[in-house]
Amino acid sequence: MSSRLPPVTGEWIDRSRGLDFTFDGKAYRGWVGDTPASALWAAGVHVLGRSFKYHRPRGVLSMANHDVNTMMQTGARLNLRADVEPLEAAMALTSVNTAGGASGDRLRFLNALGGFLPVGFYYKAFHRPKALFPFWERVFRRMTGLGTLDFNAPHIRTPKRYDFCDVLVVGAGPSGLHAALAAGRAGAKVVLVDENARIGGSLGYQRGGSVEGLEMLRDLERDLAELPNVSVRAATLAAGYYADHWIPLVDAKRMTKLRARAVICAGGVFEQPAVFRNNDVPGVMLASAAQRLLYRYAVKPMDKAVVLTANADGYRAALDLMAHGVAIAAVADLRAEGEPSALTMRVKQVGIPVLKGHCVLEAEAVDDRLVAATLCPVSAEGRPDTASPQKFACDGLLMSVGWAPAAALLYQAGASMRYDAGVHQFVPERLPEGVFACGRVNGVYTLDSKCEDGERAGTEAARLLGFDVPARNFSVAAERVAPSHPWPIVDHPAGKNFVDFDEDLHLRDFHNAAQEGFDNIELLKRYTTVGMGPSQGKHSNMNAIRILARIRGKSPGEVGTTTARPFFHPVPMSHLAGRGFNVHRETPLHGRHDGLGAVWMQAGVWLRPEYYGQPGKRKADIVREEARAVRESVGIIDVGTLGKMELYGPDAGAFLERVYTAKFAGMKPGTTRYAVMLDESGVVIDDGVVARLADQHFYFTTTTTGSTTVYRELQRWNAQWNLEVGIVNATGAFAAMNLAGPKARAVLRKLTTLDLSNEAFPYLALREADVAGVPARLMRVGFVGELGYEIHVPADRAGHLWDALMDAGGEYAIRPFGVEAQRLLRLEKGHIIIGQDTDGLTQPDEAGLEWAVKMDKAFFVGQRSVDIVRKRGPRQKLVGFELDAIGASTAPRECHLVVRNGAIAGRVTSIAWSDTLGKHVGLAFVAPDMTEVGSPFFIRADGGTMVQARVVPTPFYDAEGLRQKVVD
Amino acid sequence: MKILTCPVNGPRPVSEFAYGGEVRPMPDGATCSDREWADYVFNRSGVPGVKIEWWYHIASGTWFHAERDTVTDRVIRTWLPG
Amino acid sequence: MPYQLLRFAFASKHPEPRMFRAPERLKDTYDAVIIGAGGHGLASAYYLARDHGMTNVAVLERGYIGGGNTGRNTTIIRSNYLTPEGVAFYDQSVRLWQDLSQDFDLNLFYATRGHFTLAHTDSAVRTMRWRAEVNQHFGVNSELVGPEEVRKAAPQIDITCGGHAPILGALYHAPGAIARHDAVAWGYGRGADQRGVEIHQQTEVLGIEVQGGKVTGVRTTRGNISTPRVLSAVAGFTPRVTNMVGLRTPIYIHPLQAMVTEPMKPWLDPILVSGSLHVYVSQSARGELVMGASLDPYELHATRSTLDFVEGLAAHMLDMFPFLSNARVNRQWAGMADMTPDFAPIMGTTPVEGFYLDAGWGTWGFKATPVCGKTMSWTVANGRDHELIKGFNLSRFERYELTGEKGAASVGH
Repeated sequence: MSSRLPPVTGEWIDRSRGLDFTFDGKAYRGWVGDTPASALWAAGVHVLGRSFKYHRPRGVLSMANHDVNTMMQTGARLNLRADVEPLEAAMALTSVNTAGGASGDRLRFLNALGGFLPVGFYYKAFHRPKALFPFWERVFRRMTGLGTLDFNAPHIRTPKRYDFCDVLVVGAGPSGLHAALAAGRAGAKVVLVDENARIGGSLGYQRGGSVEGLEMLRDLERDLAELPNVSVRAATLAAGYYADHWIPLVDAKRMTKLRARAVICAGGVFEQPAVFRNNDVPGVMLASAAQRLLYRYAVKPMDKAVVLTANADGYRAALDLMAHGVAIAAVADLRAEGEPSALTMRVKQVGIPVLKGHCVLEAEAVDDRLVAATLCPVSAEGRPDTASPQKFACDGLLMSVGWAPAAALLYQAGASMRYDAGVHQFVPERLPEGVFACGRVNGVYTLDSKCEDGERAGTEAARLLGFDVPARNFSVAAERVAPSHPWPIVDHPAGKNFVDFDEDLHLRDFHNAAQEGFDNIELLKRYTTVGMGPSQGKHSNMNAIRILARIRGKSPGEVGTTTARPFFHPVPMSHLAGRGFNVHRETPLHGRHDGLGAVWMQAGVWLRPEYYGQPGKRKADIVREEARAVRESVGIIDVGTLGKMELYGPDAGAFLERVYTAKFAGMKPGTTRYAVMLDESGVVIDDGVVARLADQHFYFTTTTTGSTTVYRELQRWNAQWNLEVGIVNATGAFAAMNLAGPKARAVLRKLTTLDLSNEAFPYLALREADVAGVPARLMRVGFVGELGYEIHVPADRAGHLWDALMDAGGEYAIRPFGVEAQRLLRLEKGHIIIGQDTDGLTQPDEAGLEWAVKMDKAFFVGQRSVDIVRKRGPRQKLVGFELDAIGASTAPRECHLVVRNGAIAGRVTSIAWSDTLGKHVGLAFVAPDMTEVGSPFFIRADGGTMVQARVVPTPFYDAEGLRQKVVD
Repeated sequence: MKILTCPVNGPRPVSEFAYGGEVRPMPDGATCSDREWADYVFNRSGVPGVKIEWWYHIASGTWFHAERDTVTDRVIRTWLPG
Repeated sequence: MPYQLLRFAFASKHPEPRMFRAPERLKDTYDAVIIGAGGHGLASAYYLARDHGMTNVAVLERGYIGGGNTGRNTTIIRSNYLTPEGVAFYDQSVRLWQDLSQDFDLNLFYATRGHFTLAHTDSAVRTMRWRAEVNQHFGVNSELVGPEEVRKAAPQIDITCGGHAPILGALYHAPGAIARHDAVAWGYGRGADQRGVEIHQQTEVLGIEVQGGKVTGVRTTRGNISTPRVLSAVAGFTPRVTNMVGLRTPIYIHPLQAMVTEPMKPWLDPILVSGSLHVYVSQSARGELVMGASLDPYELHATRSTLDFVEGLAAHMLDMFPFLSNARVNRQWAGMADMTPDFAPIMGTTPVEGFYLDAGWGTWGFKATPVCGKTMSWTVANGRDHELIKGFNLSRFERYELTGEKGAASVGH
C-alpha cells in the first residue's frame, strides 16, 4: 500500500520522472528526488536495515544522514546512506550486514542473545583457550563490517577544484540564509553551502502546519539570486575545517578545496532521540524525520502517531502530521508544565489529548513494526511512574525532545563550547578569529531570532574583512523555553532503550561501563564505542554526556564533550585522492631511450634506463654486453639526472671549502676534483665532482637523489654565512652524458675542434667547447674506469648531441648503457655509491674516504664531528673483496651478512660478477680488525650457505688507472 | 591548509615550504668541548613555545626565519635573515 | 558461546568490578612515581608491582588512561628491526604480547596477521634483504619474498601500484600482529591497580624536585609528593618533562596522523606497509581499514588534522587498491610523536639520579609496550639499565654511538 501523498507544496520529488529500482531483490518505484528510504517508506517497506550488533530491525530515524542502520549497497557502491542518497534508476539495493536481506535477516536471533553480550563483552571472552582465538576472530570479522567491496570496481579519478571566497556560510537554513544575505549585501564574495539536496533547512520542513516558513524561503532565495557575488551550492558538504579557513566542499562529483577569509557556521542542530525501551523499532522516528518525509518526499510517515515531546517543535510536528491526514493518538510532554505557548491550545482544539509530565515507557512492535506505545507519568528527575500506564495503539511515534549542535566544524576550528542550561545545549563560548556561528548551533531557535542572529554573523564577518557596513546593534533574544530536555531518558528493567543506534548501546551499557571505571567521557567512549560508529555520535553523544553527568553527579558542562574530528560525514576515497598525481622526472633524452628499448627504473624522482632491452635476451646478458662495449670500444650513458649546480662570486672557493671536505681554493680553472659532503654529525651524505670554470665560477654535480636537498642546504648555509656567492640549481637546465671507452676520444674528435690530446685535455680536466655545434662543458672523468668525457650541454640541445654521438660512434659499435652496467663498471673500479655503499651512519673513514677529508682546513661541515669520532675509531670499514671461484647461483647478494664466529660482523653493500675480471667482486662493511688484504671472511648467502670471500685491494680493475688516464 | 607568509613571495600554502628546524647558534668548534659540540649536533630544545625557525620556500628557493608558536601553530612574523 | 559470557546473562547486576580505583587524593610519599598512564607507564607500573614487589607507586596522568598515543596509534606489532639490539628487544616484546590476553584475562584481540613491508625499488629490496638477514640471524621469522607471495596474501592488490611503483618484493614477517590498543592500557592498568598501584587521572605534573642531582619529589595540580624515583613515560610530551629536570635530549615532537574508513566486510588479512607510497594499512576486527602514512613535516605540539594528509594517503591507497574508490573515510586523527635522530628510543637511566626515561618512541612505541614495562621496571627497581636497553641510553648521542636503525631508514632513499 502506498503512503505517497498527493502533491505537497515544496516537495522535492519530480512526479514526472519515475525510477525503478530493487531492494533486497524486490522491485519498487520511486521518483526523481526520492531517497531509497523515502521511496521504500512510501511503498510500505519499514524494515530498511538491521542493527550492527543485535540485528534488530530498523527503519527511518532521522532522514538527515545519520540513519546508519539503513545503509545499503548497490553494485560497487557500498555503505550508501539510504536516508539521504539520491535514488537512481535501476539501483539494485541490498541492505548491508544481513544474512538474507533486511526483513528476513537470519542473524536476527542475536537479538535474543543480548543478555550474553553486554558492553565490552568481547574483552571478557574468546581469549581462552588461546588457540581458539583465531577462530573467534574470524567469526567476529565476518559478523562485523558493513558493506562489501567489489574488487573489480574501477579506479575512480575525480578531479579536484580550488575556490576562494570572503565568507563561507555553512548551512542554508534561516540563519545561514540571512548571514549570506547580509555578507553578500555588504559586498563580500560569499559561498553558501548546504548538504541537503535543496536549501532552506528547517524553513522547508518544520512548518507547524503553516506555509509561512516556505514563503520566507522563497523570498530569501529571490534576494540571494539578485546578488551575483553570492554562490549558493546545495548538495554540498563542508566536510571539515582545517587551518586558516581551508574547507573541503564535497559534492557527488568532486571535492572543492575552498579558502575562505571567514567562515560562518550555521549548520544547525541534530535532533536527538528519546531513550526508552524499544525506541528503535520501525515507526519510532525523530519528529524532524517525519516532517522531512512529509514535506520533502510527500510520504505519509504513519497513519496514527504518538508524539513524545519536550519542546514546541513536537507540537508543530503534530500539526504537520494532522494536516496530512495522520491521526494523533496522544501528545506526551515530558515537561510537567507542558508547552507554554499557544501551540498547546492549537493541538487541544483539534481534540488531541495532551499528557503533561508523561514519558514513553516502551514501544511495542509486532512483525517488526510499531503497534503501540505505553505512556506513563514521569517525575521531574526522569523517574517513570509505572502504576497506571496507558497504552496507545499507533504505527508511528515521534520523538521531539531536544537537539544537539552540529558543531563539528567549530570544534575543528578550535572553538570552545559551554553548556548553556538555558537551552540545555552546548553553545560556542569562544570562537577563533574569522569564525562565526549563528542560528540553532548558537542556541538560537525562535525564527525571528535565527534571522537576526544570521544577519549579525554575516554583518560581523563582512566588517571583520573590511567591508563597509555600518555597525549595528543586534539584539538576539534569549530563548524563553529550552528547546531541549535535560533528561529525555527513561530506564526500563528489560533494557533495549537505545542510546546509540549505530553501535546498539542501550542505557544499561553506560551504567555498566561506568561501574567498571570508564567514567570519564573519553574512556566511556572508548569502552562502549559510543559515537564511534559511522554517524560519529550525531544522535548519541549528547545523551551519553547526560547519562554520564548523572552517574557522576555533575553537569553536562563538567563532563564535557569528546573531540569532533573530520569528517563531518564520511568522504569517498576517490574524492580525497582526486586524480592521484605521481610526479616523476624525465631527462631530455627520455624519448631517445624509449626508442632504444630502455627498461626503466626509479632513481629518486627520476626515471633512468636500467638497461636497453632486446627481444629474447636476458637482462644479465644485456648488462654484460653493455659493460663490455665500454671496456672494449665505446659506450654512452645519460647522466643528466645528476644534480648540477653553478656557483659564482668572489667567495665561491671559500664556500665550497666549507661545505665539502676537500680543498678548492687553490684549484686552477679548467680542473675538476672529487668532492664529499658530510652532515653535521660527520655522516657522508653526498658526493660529486667540482669543476672550476673561472676564478669566480664553479660548476659541480651532486648525486641524483641528493640534488634537491643539497641545493637547499647550501642555500641555508649561505643564508647564515653571507658569503659573496650565488648558487644556481641548473639540474634541469643542463643535460649530461658520459661517453666512455677506449674509442671515446675517436668518437668525440669527429664532432669538435677542441684539442683532445692528453696534453691539452688531461685526465680530470675541464674544457668548454662546441660539440656537434652545441656549446658544451666537457670533463674527463673516470667513474667507469675508462677514457671518458662527461659532456654537459643545455637541456634543449641534448637530443641533437646524443644523435650526433651515436652517429659518430657507429663505426665503433657505440652502445648506450644503463644504470646496471654502470654499477658493475664502477664496482670494478671500487668506486662507491653513496646510499648503497654507505648508510645513514657512515663516517668518511668507514667508507675509505679518509683521503678526501682535509682536516687541516679551518672549517667544513661535519669536521668537528669527524674529529670526535676519529678519537673513537671506526665501527666498521668498507673493504673490497672477491669470492673464491664459485658458480653465480650460490653467490651472495647485496645486504647479505658477513658472519664471524656466529656473530654479525658486517654486510655486503655491492657485489657483481665481472666478466672482465672473471670473478665475483664486491664491497662489504666488515669489523675494523678484518680489513687486512688477503684475509678471508664468510658471507651468509641465501639458504644459509656460508660463502668464503677474501679482502682484496681496490680498484679491482686497472689499479693504476692507466685506462682512464690513457695517452694515445 | 595552513598559510605561511614568505617574506619574498607573500602568503602561500604550507605545502610550498620546507621546515628547517629551530635556529640554533653553532658553537666555535675550535674552542668548545666535544660534549658541547655533540650537544649542538644532536640535542634540541623540544619544549613547546614560541620559537624562531628556519623555513624554506621551495619554489623560489628562499630561506627565511619565522617566529612560530609550536603549540598553536600560529606564525607571529617572518623575515629574511641577516 | 564461550562460558565467560554466561555469567552476564544470568547475573542480576553487571558482574564486573571497577578496573581501576579512583583514589581521592595523593599520598605524601611514593617509592616511585610514573608520569603518564599510557601503555608504557602502566606496563612499567604493572611489572614494578608484579615482578619487583614495588607497589607504593603512583601513576600520574594529566588526561585519562590510554588517552595519548596508546589510543591513537595504528596498533601494529612486529619485531623485524635492523639492529641486533633492536631485534632482540622487539622480539622479546612480541613474545610477551602473545600471552598478554591470558595474563590479564582480558581479550586484547591480539591477532597475528602477517606483516609485509613492500619494496618498490631495487634499493628497497636490498634493505629488506638486510632486515630479513638480521632477523633470521636472531631467530626472528622474517624473509624476503617476491611479488607472488604478496599477491597470495592480498590477492586484490594492484601489484604495479597504478603502474608507477611496481612491487618488486617484500619483507614478510609472519608474526606481525595487531591488537586492540585501548585494552592494552586497561589491562596493564587493572593489573597494576589490583597490586596496589595508584592511578591518578586528571593529575598534571607541574614540576620535578631535584636536589643535589637527585630526584626528591614531584609537584602536581593535586599537591606535592616526595619520591626518590620518577619515570617519564609521556610520549609526545617528553621535552616538557625533561625540561623540569634540566635535561637536554635530542627529542623533538612532530604529529603523526592516521585515518579510518567506514566498516566493510573482511577482505584484507595481512598488514601492509609501503615506504615508497607512504602507506600502512590493516583491517581491524570491526572491519575498518586503519591507515597511516609518514610523519608530519614540522614540529607541532598539537593533534590537529590536515587535509593534505588524507588526500595523499587516499591517493596512495587507491594506487594499491583501486577498487576502494567508493569506500569512505570516516575519521582522521593525530598523535604527537617523540622523534630521535636515530629512529630508536631513549630509555633508561639519565644524568639525574632517580630520573628515568622511557621516551623517543617516535611512531613505533605501541609494539614495545610489554617489553618496555619489563625493562623499565627492572631499571627503576635496580637503578641501572636492563641488559636489553643498554643500547638505548641517552648518553649514546654524546658518544656518537647512534643505533643502526638510522642506517636502514636512510639506505635506498
